[in-house]
Amino acid sequence: MNGTYFLSLLIFSPLLGMILLAFVPKTQERTVKLLGFLSTLPPLLLSLFAFWQYLRGYRLEHLAEKHDWVRFTDFPFLTESTYLVRYELNIDGFSLVMIVLTSLLTTLAAAASIHIKKEWKGYFQLFLLLEIGMLGVFAAGNMILFFIFLEMTLVPMFFLVGKWGGFDRERAAYSYLLYNGLGSAILLIVILVLFARTGTSNLELLNEMLHNPVAQAQLIAPLSEELRLWLFVALFIAFGIKLPIVPFHRWMLRVHVEAPPSIVMLHAGVLLKIGAYGLIRFGIGLFPDQFRHFAFWIAVLGVINLLYGAFLAFVQEEFKMVLAYSSVSHMGIILIGLGALNEAGIQGAIFQAVSHGLIAAFLFLLVSILYERTSTTTIDRLGGLAKVMPLTAGCLLAGAMASLGLPGMSGFISEFTAFLGLFQTKPVVAAIGTLGIIMTAVYMLRAVLNMTFGPSMRNDVQALDMSTIEAIPVFILLVLIVSVGVYPYMLAKPLQAAIEMMMNGLGG
Amino acid sequence: MMEIAWIVPLFPLFSFFFLLAVGKKMKETSAYVGILMTLLSFLLSLAVLFDRLGGSTYKAEHVWLTIGSVKLTAGFAVTALNAWMLVVVSLVSFLVHIYSKGYMHGDERFSVFYAYLGLFTFAMLGLVLSPNLLQTYVFWELVGLGSFLLIGFYFYKEEAKAAAKKAFIMTRIGDVGFFIGMILLFWQVGSFAYDDIFRAAEDGTLSQTMVTLTAILIFIGAVGKSGQFPLHTWLPDAMEGPTPVSALIHAATMVAAGVYLVAALFPLYEASETAMLTVAVVGGFTALFAATIGLVQTDIKRVLAYSTVSQLGYMMLALGSGSYVAGIFHLTTHAFFKALLFLAAGSVIHAVHTQDIEKMGGLWRKMPLTGPLFLIGTLAISGVPLFSGFFSKDEILVAAWTHGHVALFWIAVVTAFFTAFYMFRLFFLVFGGEKRHDEKDVHEAPAVMTLPMIVLAVLAVAAGYVHTPWFGTFLGDWLTDGAYAHETAPGWIMAVATAVSLLGIFLAWLMYGKRSLARDWLSSRVPYTYSLLWNKYYIDELYMRTVGYAATAISLLLSYIDRFVVEGIARLIAATVHTSASLGSRMQNGQVQMYGAVTFVGLALLVVILAFTGGYL
Amino acid sequence: MSSVSLSVYLVLALILFCIGLYGALTKRNTVIVLICIELMLNAVNINLVAFAKYGAHPGITGQIFALFTITVAAAEAAVGLAALMALYRNRKTVHIDEIDSLKH
Repeated sequence: MNGTYFLSLLIFSPLLGMILLAFVPKTQERTVKLLGFLSTLPPLLLSLFAFWQYLRGYRLEHLAEKHDWVRFTDFPFLTESTYLVRYELNIDGFSLVMIVLTSLLTTLAAAASIHIKKEWKGYFQLFLLLEIGMLGVFAAGNMILFFIFLEMTLVPMFFLVGKWGGFDRERAAYSYLLYNGLGSAILLIVILVLFARTGTSNLELLNEMLHNPVAQAQLIAPLSEELRLWLFVALFIAFGIKLPIVPFHRWMLRVHVEAPPSIVMLHAGVLLKIGAYGLIRFGIGLFPDQFRHFAFWIAVLGVINLLYGAFLAFVQEEFKMVLAYSSVSHMGIILIGLGALNEAGIQGAIFQAVSHGLIAAFLFLLVSILYERTSTTTIDRLGGLAKVMPLTAGCLLAGAMASLGLPGMSGFISEFTAFLGLFQTKPVVAAIGTLGIIMTAVYMLRAVLNMTFGPSMRNDVQALDMSTIEAIPVFILLVLIVSVGVYPYMLAKPLQAAIEMMMNGLGG
Repeated sequence: MMEIAWIVPLFPLFSFFFLLAVGKKMKETSAYVGILMTLLSFLLSLAVLFDRLGGSTYKAEHVWLTIGSVKLTAGFAVTALNAWMLVVVSLVSFLVHIYSKGYMHGDERFSVFYAYLGLFTFAMLGLVLSPNLLQTYVFWELVGLGSFLLIGFYFYKEEAKAAAKKAFIMTRIGDVGFFIGMILLFWQVGSFAYDDIFRAAEDGTLSQTMVTLTAILIFIGAVGKSGQFPLHTWLPDAMEGPTPVSALIHAATMVAAGVYLVAALFPLYEASETAMLTVAVVGGFTALFAATIGLVQTDIKRVLAYSTVSQLGYMMLALGSGSYVAGIFHLTTHAFFKALLFLAAGSVIHAVHTQDIEKMGGLWRKMPLTGPLFLIGTLAISGVPLFSGFFSKDEILVAAWTHGHVALFWIAVVTAFFTAFYMFRLFFLVFGGEKRHDEKDVHEAPAVMTLPMIVLAVLAVAAGYVHTPWFGTFLGDWLTDGAYAHETAPGWIMAVATAVSLLGIFLAWLMYGKRSLARDWLSSRVPYTYSLLWNKYYIDELYMRTVGYAATAISLLLSYIDRFVVEGIARLIAATVHTSASLGSRMQNGQVQMYGAVTFVGLALLVVILAFTGGYL
Repeated sequence: MSSVSLSVYLVLALILFCIGLYGALTKRNTVIVLICIELMLNAVNINLVAFAKYGAHPGITGQIFALFTITVAAAEAAVGLAALMALYRNRKTVHIDEIDSLKH
């Protein structure tokens, strides 16, 4: 494992597929789909390889890459690296877990894309571009590169929703673009202020500049406490829109409902997690004191998210909407964990990011299978599915159980750890939050049982359960969800070092 | 043998996965897989029990999850209580497995049923073996899942769907109490392990308020699981599941879990007077409350269900009165005679295809085996001397009396009277009198169903003798490691207990057996009380009207806020941008003079601003 | 012997400029608009000359600039009128509010 170009290779390996796809005639559906699917394998294999090596004790620092890229000024009185933007990639355990999650979900989503009905070629090219962006976000070593990769996810996503989505797809695509564009703009301001004031956008250097008193004296222009507070708030809003935090969640509902299910797998599974990733990486990483200052309100926001999403999910008529609000609700748990501001809380937040990624992808995979057969996901128009589609119904039930945090599945571990953290620091807020545990059970069971149990509503449906090809990704996800739930240590171990780093930052 | 006790739950788990995977092809032969696996579990449990009889506690752990420097472990422990529970659970489960082969014969999803039974048994066995609270919680929830799946087994029935959902949600409400209590304990003690918690409760690391708070929170969990008031409403509805499931839920698994939890955490409860009192009062109240409802119900399974709620109240009362042994003893005897009653009821339902006792009658002759077996169960639950229920109930009454809960003692006595009455009312209505059903061909159940009942009937009599004031208190001595306090109870307690149960039986016989007393002489005198009881004190309706409606109302309110306020603000911002843009574009009308005017106004504004700000913008 | 102060010139220029501005922004006839623009230019000229005489640094620069302005204004008038003639031939109008085809 010669580290020098490994990460670049990992991130840009889908590019190969994009180029190859360009040579395939767009009418050849099977070839395009197969090639599209196969193109997602190289990053998956590479990331799994890295993960395996990491578990065996390989040090991830060896993977870091660094090349000079853009130099903004060249004053003689400044040091070599000031106002220099490098192309630099590096990862730690946390990013690696996210990268593995991304590449895995992309492959599974590509498998679920067999239900895409038109213009497969363009679809897969955008799909692969999206993957490059997502992988890059987690590997970026500085904020500017992070931002570029982040924008790289925005554009393909816009087209994927706007072109291959459902009935109201264009509106969904525009709200996606507008909300996220706004978030990106705010993020850009933060990045630029930091860059202008410190002369760097590299995370480690920034950390050094912001917190080391010696380095602070060398700042181009000092950062006052007040300014830091504002920068943190701006950062919080920027990632809060992505996460999303109530009241910035409306765009996400539309995307959940309108985008093709295979894309929602990625959207709910990975893209939302970029918000969490950013909050943890930049929020806690760069502004620990400000984070501590707002911790109480972050926890309260988390509880609001949790309950707000849960209550709204309770009255939705459309299963996708239930899942959308359940995403809002589950993102609340991430905030709860972050608001706890201790090891258990942060670990819970990261666990929740991973676990919700798996569970949301799992449920939307089932939605895609279901929609293919019933052409509807309105709860009232379904019912008694367990009779005609026992396997799908069983998996839906399993997904619901995972989502409501049944022990033995990944959802419980994250919920438990996050609450464990919050109970240590803010027991009253946490106690209110536990109401969400009940509500999650209520809305999830209401939705899923009304679809699967009860008298059969639709005898007209071709009673076809999922085929073997469809079942494979479903079972892969189910096995992952269960294995994280049964033996969480396998997820805790790779994260340990990264969390300790963050706790050191917070330590003061 | 104790080192491999962890394998006990794995047999039924294997049965679950195996039957899910290939059960469809195996059809009804899948029953043998389930039966074999539970038999192995049972045999191994027996071996573990005998091993434990001579040995001491065995405990093994493995790292499960790390949080920073804190290591959470998973493992298993074999204590006296665990070993005892293992045998009870695996035995009842084994018998239910056998019985189901006859009862579920011909069902389309036969193998699925056995798979679920496996999961359920696995969860309960795992719960019993857990050495720490967190692991208990994990299996606790899995038990809930098992019961949920089994109650909703006839998923195409609207009632089954509702019942399954209700069971899950009601118990989940309790579970949240458990969840909070568990986490609070963790931050106080620094560990989930039972031993550490007890040590902390003893040496005062835990403050008195904290002990009380956590004990009561965890008790809420037990209230949910064990169907205690006010979270009991799911248990009668759970009768929607197939009858063998009811036997399993009521006897050995689900509801026993709550009692087991309190028993397992007993040292924590003992450290707090308030918590003990809460447990005792809730238990005593539930016992009476459920017994009164049981008096008037007409569904055979529902009567049994309310009797379970009531008996569980007894167990809680025992635990709350400080008698750990009496609680576990009654749990054991109850497991046997309640399983027997349910299986016999299942046999009856199997024969007459109805659950309404008004439509039964005269089955004594038609079912020569089920009838006497049911009678044995009824005698045991009524506390007739020499049957197991008599000894365990007596133990509880003694505990309540010696602990000074006089009011609770009398409540328990009244409950015993009610229990005897409604159980014999049930018996006479089902088996006595003339035939009131229109089933032509009523026949006795097949041997595969009667055999487990016979075993249970033997146990329903014999189980009482492991702990009697006359022949020795083996169970008590063993469970408490020989430290069992032999309380000399006043002899009149036993006499009173016997008297009230016989009185109840006599009254039932007068009304339903001999019929010298009109059936409605009481109900016609107090019609309002009667309908109150018939409608189960309107608790369901109350919950629906308050909590149910409130949740819906909040949800709807929020959904309007979401749709109009949150979305509205977003739209407002969008509209503002849109309006200003269209205003701007309207100025671009091609009229040079308009442009000139705009330029001039802009210039003028700029000058004014600069003049006011002194040149700095 | 400066009985007339700077402010008088400036006020005169202001009035002239405002008349010019008013005309340029409101009159429909393009010829009048052009003439009004000339008025505004001349208002500026008055300012230039006035400051050249009474300003903080009196000198000849202002007067030279005034001459420049007159020259440029003459050129501008010529070009403007020529454009107007061409426009009139095409559109048969000199009303400025009817001439808006450049907006597209």
